[in-house]
Amino acid sequence: MKQFAIALVATTLPLAAAAQVESYNVDPYHTVMYWETDHLGFATMRGRFDKPTGKFAIDRAAKTATLEIVIETKTLSTGDPDRDARPRTRDEHLRTPDFFNVAEFPTMTYKSTGVKFQGDDLDVVEGNLTLLGVTKPVQLKIVRWKCGPDPRTQGKRYQCGGNATGTFKRSDFGMKFGIGPIGDDVTLWMSFYGFRQ
Amino acid sequence: MEEFLSNPVVQGGIAPFVVAVIVVAILAKAKLAGLAVTVGFAVAVALVSGLGFTPLTATRKVVLLGLLAPLVGIVVDFTLKRNRTLTVAIALAYGALTVWVFWSVLRQKAVGDALLLGGGVAVFVAWFVASTLELAGKPVRAGAAALMLGLGAGISAILGASALLGLYGLAVGAGASAFLLVQMLTGRKIVAGATLTLSASVAAGLVAAAALVLAQLPWYALIVLGLIPLAASLPASDRLPVWAQAVIVSGYGLAVAFVAFVLTWQAPPPG
Repeated sequence: MKQFAIALVATTLPLAAAAQVESYNVDPYHTVMYWETDHLGFATMRGRFDKPTGKFAIDRAAKTATLEIVIETKTLSTGDPDRDARPRTRDEHLRTPDFFNVAEFPTMTYKSTGVKFQGDDLDVVEGNLTLLGVTKPVQLKIVRWKCGPDPRTQGKRYQCGGNATGTFKRSDFGMKFGIGPIGDDVTLWMSFYGFRQ
Repeated sequence: MEEFLSNPVVQGGIAPFVVAVIVVAILAKAKLAGLAVTVGFAVAVALVSGLGFTPLTATRKVVLLGLLAPLVGIVVDFTLKRNRTLTVAIALAYGALTVWVFWSVLRQKAVGDALLLGGGVAVFVAWFVASTLELAGKPVRAGAAALMLGLGAGISAILGASALLGLYGLAVGAGASAFLLVQMLTGRKIVAGATLTLSASVAAGLVAAAALVLAQLPWYALIVLGLIPLAASLPASDRLPVWAQAVIVSGYGLAVAFVAFVLTWQAPPPG
């Protein structure tokens, strides 16, 4: 009888653990990837990518999580959409091979390889950023993180949201045009939401 | 020094020109002065984006073919007899290579769009190569054509939103201007051959095609740029001093290139 009980526990424990994995789909309407870099040594230039798609899963008991985000590079914007008297806008320039090369590389992706928790909260995501056909590790620090019922649905939908930030050198991804006048160090700021499935 | 070398005027103009002048001075007697174009191009690539080829993006394929073009030119000049059949064969080969260069973009498009875009740029580069190779035996016209191919492709690319491609094109023009300037100052013609014409047409042609595929050069500006080699064949008496011939033929090319600049500047935004 004792052996049977041990076998039962051993069999059902993994199932119980599996049941604690929560899966979320990224909300493209409230998830935005911002970036910033130095411009001419005078000011910081900021831009953003809209409507990322992806998913994340978290197991609070096991303190594990996975994250996968896909960003369409053509959504890039720095708030300069009108040419006025110029032949091209800054946003048009940023989409060329000088920078994000959106015709050849229409997406950039981030895929986690591991996470760190601080207490019960997600603290750091280790992962790989794929940009311009180059994949390099980039760490995202979770600076804000909250999960709970979505007040917009009177609690019927459960969501997690927060902010994350990380840095990388654009030259590591082959984006070398203008380094010097334009910064090599890029900071990412991400505000994200995900809905539990 | 680092600040000096990061200046776009130095990267796409001064540095390629200075190095190209040295190459012309050293290699003119060996009938290899045409290498000045590729050396100027290589200097700009090294300063603007570095000479890396991994991953092998479309832009890096442009650089790779641009750097290898003079090797084909040297083989043609020193081991083969240049004739119309050979010119057509080389042009068709570069047309096919153009599809390879932009394959990563073409494969993402619908079949009809890919055929139109891929076929269009392949025909353009093949035409650019064939029509420029025809000038190989005419040093002043070849130099002036190469100068305007580079300037035309470079400035059009800048107006088409890509400064990187623009600097690559301008460097081709800077290299060709060194070839032309030495002739103008000495009053003596220097052998151009396929070494110069192929180097300039492949690099400038692919830069212009890249500005269409990867940036915002309008297709009709590309057609106008394709007329530059023809403009370099317009009348300019051989009795005139070399410098005068160079100025006149370059003027023809500049007039054509200027039309491409205006068309590119005024092109409507995409979508």
